[in-house]
Parts: sequence; C-alpha cells; structure tokens
Amino acid sequence: MAPALCAICKTERALIKRPKNHAKLCKGCFITIFEDEVHHTITSSQLFYPGEKVAIGASGGKDSTVLASVLKTLNERHNYGLDLILLSIDEGIKGYRDDSLETVKRNAVQYEMPLKVVGYDELYGWTMDQVVETIGKKGNCTYCGVFRRQALDRGAKMLEIKHVVTGHNADDVAETILMNLLRGDLARLSRSTSIVTGDSRSDVKRSKPLKYAYEKEIVLYAHHKKLDYFSTECIYSPEAFRGSARSLIKQLERVRPSAILDIVRSGEDMARLVPGESSSSCGGGCKDKKTAPVARVEDDIGGCGSQNGRTPGGEMAAMETQLRENEASEGLEIDVSKNISQKEDSENKNERAVPIRTGNKNAKPVNRQVLGNCKRCGYMSSQDICQACMLLEGLNKNRPQIQI
Amino acid sequence: MQQPDTPSSGVASGGAAPPAPASLCVKCHLHEATLDSRSQRVCSDCFTKFISAKCIKQVGIIGKDIRNPGTGAASQKKKYLLGLSLGVSSSVLVHLLNENVEYQLAKGRNAPFDLVIVHVDSSGLYPSSSSPGSVQETLEGYRKRYPRFEFRLVPLSAVLDLDTVDWRTLILPSSAVTPPENEQQLHALFFDRLSSPTSRADILRLFTRHLLISSARTESCHALLLGHTTTALAELTLAETAKGRGFSLPWQVNDGPVAVVSHSTAVPTEPITTTTTPTSQSSNATTTTTESQIQVYHPLRDLLRKELVIYATELMGTPSLASDLNIMIPNHPSSATQQAAAAVVSHKDLSIEEVMFRYFAEVEENYPSVVANVARTTGKLVRLLGGDSEPATGSHSSCGMCTMPLDEQGDERWRGELGDEDVEDDMTRSSAGRICYGCERSIRG
Ligand SMILES: [Zn+2]
Ligand SMILES: [Zn+2]
Ligand SMILES: [Zn+2]
Repeated sequence: MAPALCAICKTERALIKRPKNHAKLCKGCFITIFEDEVHHTITSSQLFYPGEKVAIGASGGKDSTVLASVLKTLNERHNYGLDLILLSIDEGIKGYRDDSLETVKRNAVQYEMPLKVVGYDELYGWTMDQVVETIGKKGNCTYCGVFRRQALDRGAKMLEIKHVVTGHNADDVAETILMNLLRGDLARLSRSTSIVTGDSRSDVKRSKPLKYAYEKEIVLYAHHKKLDYFSTECIYSPEAFRGSARSLIKQLERVRPSAILDIVRSGEDMARLVPGESSSSCGGGCKDKKTAPVARVEDDIGGCGSQNGRTPGGEMAAMETQLRENEASEGLEIDVSKNISQKEDSENKNERAVPIRTGNKNAKPVNRQVLGNCKRCGYMSSQDICQACMLLEGLNKNRPQIQI
Repeated sequence: MQQPDTPSSGVASGGAAPPAPASLCVKCHLHEATLDSRSQRVCSDCFTKFISAKCIKQVGIIGKDIRNPGTGAASQKKKYLLGLSLGVSSSVLVHLLNENVEYQLAKGRNAPFDLVIVHVDSSGLYPSSSSPGSVQETLEGYRKRYPRFEFRLVPLSAVLDLDTVDWRTLILPSSAVTPPENEQQLHALFFDRLSSPTSRADILRLFTRHLLISSARTESCHALLLGHTTTALAELTLAETAKGRGFSLPWQVNDGPVAVVSHSTAVPTEPITTTTTPTSQSSNATTTTTESQIQVYHPLRDLLRKELVIYATELMGTPSLASDLNIMIPNHPSSATQQAAAAVVSHKDLSIEEVMFRYFAEVEENYPSVVANVARTTGKLVRLLGGDSEPATGSHSSCGMCTMPLDEQGDERWRGELGDEDVEDDMTRSSAGRICYGCERSIRG
C-alpha cells in the first residue's frame, strides 16, 4: 500500500496519526498545527500582555519542557514581547531532583531563558528529606503536595513575578473534572475548568496554555522536536496508585479519542450550572467577555511530581467513610421511607416527625467554601490558616525534639 | 432476647468467606442477618422491605407531583408508562410496581395507577447479541408473570415515523446523504454513518428515549418511568460528561418535566401546549416546531444496582425473578454462559457507556456511598435555561436530535477557544436542523 500523504500539506508522507482526532499528518505539519493551537488558546483567552514577565513552572518533565519550548517559539514568531524565565522548585530530596534540575539547567541554555531554582528550605524552612526524617515515609506525599501547590506562587512572589504558567494539559483538566464529579465537589469542579486561576489579592496569576493539548500530543511534540526532558516520578509516593480517574480517562480516550476534549467541554459548561456560580463566573453576558474568566482556586491540579491530583484509592475510601457518617447522622432517611409506606396503609404505629425530603429536583445550595486568605502567609485558603501553614506548625513543633 | 445456637467459633474465622455469623438483623432483631445492606447486617425480609420502600417512596412523590393543578382533576386515575429494557433494574421496577398494586387491591382499594410497559426492540440491529429466545418470547414471560399490566413491543424502526426527531439533522451539508426512510436505511445509518460503538450506542439511546416518550404521549400517560438506579445515574453522569453532554445533565438526571418538540408541517393532533414558531431561516419554510412536555421519573434512584441484583437473583423465590424472566445480568455468575459470548468484545469496541458500566461496577462494590454521591451531586446542577423546574420552553431552541436545550453561549465560547470556526459553521449553523455538541460528536464524528 502506498504511504498516505499528509492531510494538510498533501505533499509529505503522513507519519503521525494525531491522537486527538486521528488525522494523518507529516511531522512538520503536526508541529505547526500543535503550535498554532496553543497560540490560538493564548490569544483567544488573552493570557498575556506585551512586556509581561512570565515564569514557566519547570520541572524538567515533558509538559513543562514542551511548554517552555512552545512559548519560546511563539513568543518569537508572534512577537508576544514576553519576558520568560524558568522557575524550578527544589523539594530538597537528595538525588531526586539532581537529574531533573540538570535537565532544566540545559533547557535554560537551550531556550536562552534565565533559570531560578527555589528550594523548599527557602520557602518553608524545611526540605522534604527533613520532613521525612521527622514524620516518616508514610503520608509525606501530602506534605510534598501541599507545599508544592504553593511553591510556585511563593517562588514567583520572591522574584516579583505576577504570572506563572504551568504545563497542565487537557488530560489533567479532564481528570480533575471527573475526579471532582466523583468527589461530588461542584465548587471545585467549576473552579478547576478555568484556564486562568489565581486571586486578585494573591498577586500571582496562574494559567495553563496547554489546557487543550492532549498529553499524547505533548509526548509526540517533545519526541519530534527532540526536546530534552526527564520523566519524573516522585520517589516519596509509596501510596502511588493507578489513579482511578486517570485510568478512566485513558480508557475513554481509547474508546473515543475526542473524549478528553469532550470532557473539558462538559466541565466548562457544567461550571456554569453550579448553583451560585452561573452569575459570577460567566454572568449571562459571556459573549462580549474577551478575557477568560479568572477563578480563584487553591490549585486543584497540584500534588506531587507527575502523580498530580490522582485520586488515590485511599482518598476514595476516606470519602466513602465520610459519606457513610453523613448518612448516619443525616439519619433516618431509611425510616422516613418506611414511614411513608406505612402511612400509605394507614396503620402507622409509630409515626415520627421526621423532615421529609422532597424530590431530587429541589436543588439544595452547594456547600461552597468561601475562599479567603491565610492569616499567616497570605496565600488563598478556605480556612483561616492554609494547609501549608498548618502542616508547618505541626512540623515546627517537632523540630526541637528532632534536633536534640 | 434469644441467642441462636450456633457454635460461636469466636472471631470471624479469618477466611475469605466465613460461614454466615449468627447475628440478628439490626433492623427487626428477629431474624438472622444474612445480607449486608449499606454497612448494616440485615435479614432478607428487611432487605426486601427496604428495596420496595425506597421505590414506593419515589412513586408516592410522582403521585403528588401529578396531582398538581393543571395536569388534571385530582380524582383522575394516574397512568404511567414504564420503559422496560429487559435488564435487571427495569424488570425489578415492574415487579415492585406490581407488588404495590396487589397490596393496594388486597386492602380493598383501587389500583393506584395504570401501567403500560414498553420495550423498544433493537435486537434487529445486533441480531447476534440478543439473548437466547426471541424478544417476543421473553416478553411473554413478563406477561404471564404480571398479567395485570399491559406489555408492548415497539420496533426500533418505528422511530422513523416520529416527528420528534428532526430528521434534517442527519443530512450532511456537503454530501448526498439523506435521512433514513426504511429499516434498511436505518440499519445503514447505524453501521455506515455512525463510526464508533459509542456513537451507535448514543444514538440508539436517544431513539429509544424518543420512542418511549412518544408512546407515553399517545397513551396519554401522566409520566414516563425509567429504571435507572443510583448506579445507573452515576454512570449516566460520567458517560454524558465524556460525550460532551455536560450541559444537559440537569435535565437528564433529575426528575420532572422535559420538553417534547415536534418538527412537522402538520399540526399535532393533541397539542398540550402552545408555542408554535416557524423555524427561522429554514430551508423548508413550512416546517414548524411545536413544543410540549412530559414528566420523566426514576423511581429506583435511591437504590444501587447491586442491591437489585441481589433482589432479583436471591430473594424472590425459586426460580428467582432473574431466571424466571430470563434477565441478563452482566458480570453475574447466574448468566455466565450468556456472558461468555459477549465477553469476547475487544476493549476498543466498547462504547463509553460500557466503559462506565464496568467502572462503576467496581466502585459500587467497595464505595457505594461514593456512587450515590455522584448522582446526588449532579442533581444539584441547575437547569440554566427555562428555570429549574421547567423544561426548556419558548425562546430557547432545542437540539433536533436529543431535544435538549441548545447551549448557544457554550457553543460560542468553545468555538472561540478551539478555533475550529469553519468546521462548526458547516455543522451547527447549516440550514438543516441544529444539534447540540454531543449529538454533533455522535452524528458527525
Ligand atoms: Zn504535511
Ligand atoms: Zn430483619
Ligand atoms: Zn443533542
């Protein structure tokens, strides 16, 4: 069979089947269309302004490496006028970051971008190795995740940069949407679909220019552009799990490639259906709104290394327990139904005055967290004290004993 | 209180399946607990009561809703149409409703409602996969067991006669494809046009829904009852999300009125309402859309599928409900042989619905409350157009294929974000019937 020709240029041989829609393309056309689509995302959401200083959250992994490469290309091609720098976080895990930091250092040279490495010790006074010494291996992924969530923002603040871009891709966003549906967390679902997150008060804006890019295409892009990246896996994740939502996404993609994008579409639409959100996030007149709506968010797609935001079996189990407790205390739902059926045969002996829940269509207000700012560090938080500061408090209490 | 005399071999004998510990049911404190129900040990009696109470509670709500002024006189007898898939959930629903009617009659009261049961027969599409024995035969078993109810068999091809599908949505602007007019063409639609198992399952589901709704209307039923369990509603939520239909979830998952839209030149015989608007800029100027509504309910929404499986396979006597009615229960030992044939399907040939079915079967096993929470959460999403309890009426246009409201704001935004203006122009804006994002995916790839 003669080799098929590229569906776009119709001259080169098609070597790539696009994961997103199975279009057969040549290498050059694939790279171009990938870049064009990211450019479209950037312009349609008006992510940047000329002269803006933007930090790229760089881990040395494929997503952030591709992001850096594409942004450099587009910045030059379309004269964005951006001042780009690479911002890397060093968790302070001996040996773990060595290779990835080397990768980032090479990237800095390759892309001619300044690199700033900020350590957990600078940000929190603790390296992850010290945390592990204190609390042991179990559960330290929580610390790593919580600290990491704020690290980029805190690091950017130190450098007086107001905009951080991260390599989150369409798979990540889709995964977060399904995860929040499974968690029943509508408020977070609605926040996590925004391309721009951050807080007017926190001074640091976050965005994800690769929001519509498939993970598989990012891998292909990195491969065909021969990018220099390092695959990271947090070594401190003994609880690492085949994420429930993640594996579901992968199965769906296999069954229907468009599914990832379709989930993102659904998530964006559903964000408008969350009670109380519809007016704020997209207030009716979405049409003339050119810039993307900004959602305040305690970075949902955070977490540890490339295991970001996966639903661990542990989390599901914990939620199950929580829900059962709620059911138990909400109580008597079972008895309510019994009462009704008994009432119907009018021989009800022990009718109790239980509030009867009417139908399911009476939309109860969603339990919405009010986001404020942490009283200690100023980072946005639904509690008075943010999670990172809570964890630090616990750690610092232990410090004296450890040092003895 | 009397302790049943069983050897108290101490703590559960450490094995995978310890002999049923002799504990008493936590509800009645009378019988031996033989089942786990929502983390409580109960007896089969109490379990059975629990199942029917959950269902009858919902049926009670329907009765109240329908008694509302406007729908009809208070004394008017209620009439429901039940969509029977021949699967475990809808079959148990038939059983429970029958039980309820018999109970009322035994008390010397009138039957609380009339019930028409409709099975949409799509076995013609997949002749190999249909269960042993013809559908007709299977249905005969139901008729025998529940003589009080009326069972109808509606062939899928009857959808071709419906004007609630805007058949123009199947016309491709750039090709000579025309809407199907006979059974062969319908078959060709499914297997030539709809490119993936997901698209086929999706459109089949919509056609089935159209047929049930239309039957309910011709039968002058007050409501359409569907057999979705909590588990099925959770599956539906995630499946529809994965098919890009997130916007319409509040209409799909909640109970209440949904819109019925006719696309026709003729005025319908019995218009319940009202808004007759000429389709704007239609190539066919004579086509009008007429909108009315129907109540749709899911009386099993508080029950898990696995609970109904226990109910149908273990509790309703010998032979069990499941074997008496020849119900196929996927992943259940009782239908292992039937399974064997179906199991050879490669993963790539699954539909999104099937992926979700498998996924939730697992989640349901260990985390039933998580499953229930998904359905409950989706129920909180608001219907953005036409108000919370209203179908999308009047000024909002609806999708010509699924009848769900068109999300013009979302479409516009998405076009901006994705930038495939030209493609979409062809599709959504063509003079032929307009369709939603999800239908577009299924029909036009
Ligand atoms: Zn090409
Ligand atoms: Zn009992
Ligand atoms: Zn539709």
